[in-house]
Amino acid sequence: MRALERHRKLTAIWSSEPGFRGWFSTVNHTDVGKLFLVTAFVFFLIGGILAMLIRAQLATPHSAFAGPEIYNQIFTMHGTIMMFLFAIPTFEGLAIYLLPKLLGTRDLAYPRLTSYGYWCYLFGGSMLLVSMVLGIAPNGGWFMYPPLTGPIYSPGINTDFWLIGITFVEISAMAAAVELCVSILKYRAPGMSLDKMPIFAWYALVTALMILTGFPPLILGSILLELERAFGLPFFQADLGGDSLLWQHLFWLFGHPEVYIIFLPAAGVISTVLPVMCRTTLLGYGWVVAAAVALAFLSFALWVHHMFTTGIPHMSLALFSAASTLVAVPTGVQIFAWIGTLWKGRPELHLPMLHILGFFVTFVIGGLTGVMVAVVPFDWQVHDTAFVTAHLHYVLFGGFVFPILAGIYYWLPQVTGRKRFFRLGEIAFALIFIGFHLTFLAMHWVGLLGQRRRIDTYLPEDGWTTVNLVSSVGSFIMAMGIAIVILDVVVHVLTATRGPRNPWGAGTLEWAMIIPPPAYNFASLPHVASRDPLADDPDLPLRLARGEGYLGEPREGRRETLMVDVSSGAPEALVVYPANTRLPVAMAAMTGLFFLSLLLKFYWAVPIALAGVAALAWRWVWQLGRSVDEAPAPVGHGITLPSALGADRSPGWWGTSFLLVANGTFFGSLLFGFAFLWTVAPGWPPPALFEASLGEIAVGVAALAVTVAAVESAVRTNRAGGRPLAALLAGLIAVFCVVAVCAVMMARIPAPTEHAYYATLLVLTGYALFHALLTGLMFAFLIARVRAGFTSPSRRAEFTIVSLWTKYLVLTGALVLAACQLPDLFT
Amino acid sequence: MTDVMRIVLSPLVWLASFSAVYGLNGLLCGHGLVDAAVGSLSVQRAILVGAYGLALALQAAILVGLHMPRFASSSGFVRGVSVATGMAGFVAAAWSLMPVLTTSLC
Repeated sequence: MRALERHRKLTAIWSSEPGFRGWFSTVNHTDVGKLFLVTAFVFFLIGGILAMLIRAQLATPHSAFAGPEIYNQIFTMHGTIMMFLFAIPTFEGLAIYLLPKLLGTRDLAYPRLTSYGYWCYLFGGSMLLVSMVLGIAPNGGWFMYPPLTGPIYSPGINTDFWLIGITFVEISAMAAAVELCVSILKYRAPGMSLDKMPIFAWYALVTALMILTGFPPLILGSILLELERAFGLPFFQADLGGDSLLWQHLFWLFGHPEVYIIFLPAAGVISTVLPVMCRTTLLGYGWVVAAAVALAFLSFALWVHHMFTTGIPHMSLALFSAASTLVAVPTGVQIFAWIGTLWKGRPELHLPMLHILGFFVTFVIGGLTGVMVAVVPFDWQVHDTAFVTAHLHYVLFGGFVFPILAGIYYWLPQVTGRKRFFRLGEIAFALIFIGFHLTFLAMHWVGLLGQRRRIDTYLPEDGWTTVNLVSSVGSFIMAMGIAIVILDVVVHVLTATRGPRNPWGAGTLEWAMIIPPPAYNFASLPHVASRDPLADDPDLPLRLARGEGYLGEPREGRRETLMVDVSSGAPEALVVYPANTRLPVAMAAMTGLFFLSLLLKFYWAVPIALAGVAALAWRWVWQLGRSVDEAPAPVGHGITLPSALGADRSPGWWGTSFLLVANGTFFGSLLFGFAFLWTVAPGWPPPALFEASLGEIAVGVAALAVTVAAVESAVRTNRAGGRPLAALLAGLIAVFCVVAVCAVMMARIPAPTEHAYYATLLVLTGYALFHALLTGLMFAFLIARVRAGFTSPSRRAEFTIVSLWTKYLVLTGALVLAACQLPDLFT
Repeated sequence: MTDVMRIVLSPLVWLASFSAVYGLNGLLCGHGLVDAAVGSLSVQRAILVGAYGLALALQAAILVGLHMPRFASSSGFVRGVSVATGMAGFVAAAWSLMPVLTTSLC
C-alpha cells in the first residue's frame, strides 16, 4: 500500500465528523486536547480580567470601584477560575493533546472518557460563570472556609455554586487522571521501556497520580459542606460536634498537592523544551524522575503549613515546618539539572527560551519565599497578608504560566504546521515579565507593611497607597503582554506560512508525523530504541509513513493501537477503540442535570438524573466487547497479538484499579474525618453511641462473604467455558442483602442533624449503600452479557473488572460495619 | 507495575509514617498521657520516639532491600531511580520526624 493511500484510509477511519457536529461527537485526543486548551485560555482571560478589577479596586484608598459584596465575588472567582478552570484543565489539555504523540501511539486509553471529561469541565465551568453573570457568584474566598461559608453566615446560593460546580469540574480532572495513568503505563510505542519514556510523560504520570489522591479529600469536603448547607448535617459546626478545622484539613490535603499538581507538568514542559533550546539532552534524567516522584510525595505532607495559626500542637507545627523546608531539596535537584543542561548545551535564545528564563527568575524567588513561610514564626507574622498572595503568584505564575507560554510557542508549529512570522511574542514577553515583577514584588512589600489579603479598601494613612498603585500599574502592563500573546497566536494560526516538519530539531516523536497532525497520529507505530528516537533516526517519519512500523495496514475500518508491558514496553495486546459518538456529551449533560438539581434543590429530579446516568453508562459499556471470539491478529514486525478483551488485565481493569485508588483515598479521607472529629472536635462524646446490632453484623458479614465468593466462582466458571449465571445470581442476591443491611442501619441512626457523629455515620452507611447498589448494577450487567453471548474464556475482561469492584465493596463495607457497630460493642 | 512500585515504595512508606506520627501526637495530646512518665522520659515522648525509630528502621529495610538482587529491578534505570527515591524516603523520615526528639509535645 502506498503512503498516500494509507493516509487516506487511516484518515477515513480516525477522522471526526466534519463541521460543527464533529465538536459534539469527536473522541479524538487531538481534537479534545485543543478544545480543552482553548476553553482553558478563555477561562484564563476571564480570570485575568477579574484580576485587573481587583487591582483597579486596590489602586487607590477609599476606592468606590466595587462594593464589598461584589469585590468578594471578584476575588473568589479570580482564584477559583485560575486554579480549577485554567491551571488544571490546561495541564489536562496539554497532556491529552501531546501524550499519544510523545508516546508514539494513536490515542489515549479511553477516548470517550476524554470527551466526557471535557464536557463535564465545560458545563461545570459554565455553571460558575452563570453565577457570576447573575451576581450570585461564590464569595467566600477560593478556599471557602466554614463557618463563613456555612449555612448560618452564607445562607444564599453563592457558596452552593462553588461546592457543586467545582465538584462537577473535578469529575473532569479525575477522568483525565485515570486516563493519563493508564495511557502512560500501557499505551506506548513498542520498545519504549520506562527508561526511554519522554520526560514529560514521567511528569504527567506523577501529576495524574497526585490528582487521583489529592482531589478526593476536596470532593469529600465539598460534599460534607453541601450536606451541612442543604440538610443541616453539622460536620463543621462546633456546637453540634463538628469542627470547622476539619474543612481546613480536607481542603489543604488537596490544596497543597494542588500547587505541585500545577507545577510538575510545567516542569515537564521545561525538561522537554530546555534541552532542545540548548541543542543537547536533559542532564540527570534519572535524578529528575526521582526528584519529581519525591516532590509529589513530600507535597502530601505539607498541608498543615497552611494552618500554622490555627492553634495546633507545637510538635505538629515543627513536623510540618520540617517537611516544608525539605521540599526545597527535590525542587533544587530539578533546578540544578536544568542549569546543568544549560551549561552542557549551546543555548539559543528563541522565544520559548525567553519564557524559560522568565520561569527561572520568578520561580526561584517564589521558592525562596516559600521556605520563608515554612518557618513558623515568620509565617505567623505574614499569614493572611498580601505577602502570601504575592508568594503564591510567584510560585504559580512563575512555575506554571511562564513554562506554559514556553510550551505554547514551542509546540505551536506542531499544532498549526506553520512557522512564526511576526515578532510580537518578544514584546509580549518583556511586558509580561516586567509587569509581573512590578505587580508582585510590590505586593510582597505591602504585605510586609501589614496589608491583609482580600481587603476591599484601605485608608490613606495606612501608608500603602503608592505601593498599591505601583502594583496595579504593573498588573495592567502584564495584562497588555498577555493580550499581545493572544494576538500573536491568533495571527499565527490565521496567517503564518507553512513551516518545516521539525523546526526546532527535536528528538521526540511528536515531530515524527505530518504537521498539523493527522487524526491517526502515526501511519504506523514506531519501535522505540532510545529516548530521542527522532534524533537517532531522522528518516523515521518517512519509514512510518510507508507503513514500516506496527499496524501499518488499516483493516476493517477499525481504530487500532497496541497495549504494552509497563516496564519493558514489549507489545502485549491489540486494542480496538470505539468510534465517534455523542454518548459522552449526553452523559455529561445528564451528570450536569444531577448537579443542577442539587444546586436548585429540585430534589425530585435527582433520581431521574441518576437513572439517566446509569442507563447511559450501561449503554457506554455495552457497546464495548464482541459477541464472537477474535483470533490473534498480526500487528507487524512478524508479531501476532491477542485482543485486549481477552486479557485478565484489560484496559478496563487498569482504569478501574486507578479509579479505586482515588475512591479509596476518598473513603480514607472520610475515615480520617470521623477520627478527627472524634479526637479533636468539641462537643464529643455524642449523646448516645449508635446501638450495635449483632444481627446486622452477622447478615452484613455473611452477605459480603457470599458476594466475593460468588464473583470469584463466576470468574472461574467463565474461564472454564461455562455460563456462570447461577453464581452471578447468588452474588446479586447477596449484594441486595448488603443494600438491605445498609438501609436498616441508616434508618436506625438517630437524627443526623443533632450531632456530627450521627451525620458522619449517615455518610459512611450511605457510601456503603451506594457501592452496594453500584456492584449490584454490575452483577446485573454481567448476567445480561452472559445471556447475550458476550462472554467466553477469551472474552473475560468484564469479570475481572466486576471482581475488583466487589472486593472493594467487601473491604469498605466491612470497615463501615466496624466503624458503626464496634464502638458500642466495646464500651 | 512492580518497577513503578519499587520507585514509589519508600516515599509512600515515609508518607504513611509521617501521617501516623502526626496522628499519634494529636491522639496523645487529645487523650491525656501528657503527665505520665517512664523514668526521666514522658510516656508520650517515649511512644513518639519509638515511632520515629520504627519509621527509620522501615526506611533502612527498604533501602537495603532495593540493593538486594532478590528484590532489585532487572532494569538499571529503575534500580537507580528506586535507590534515589529510597534515599529520599530515608532522609525525609530522618529530617521531618526529628522534632519528636527536640520539640515540646503539645
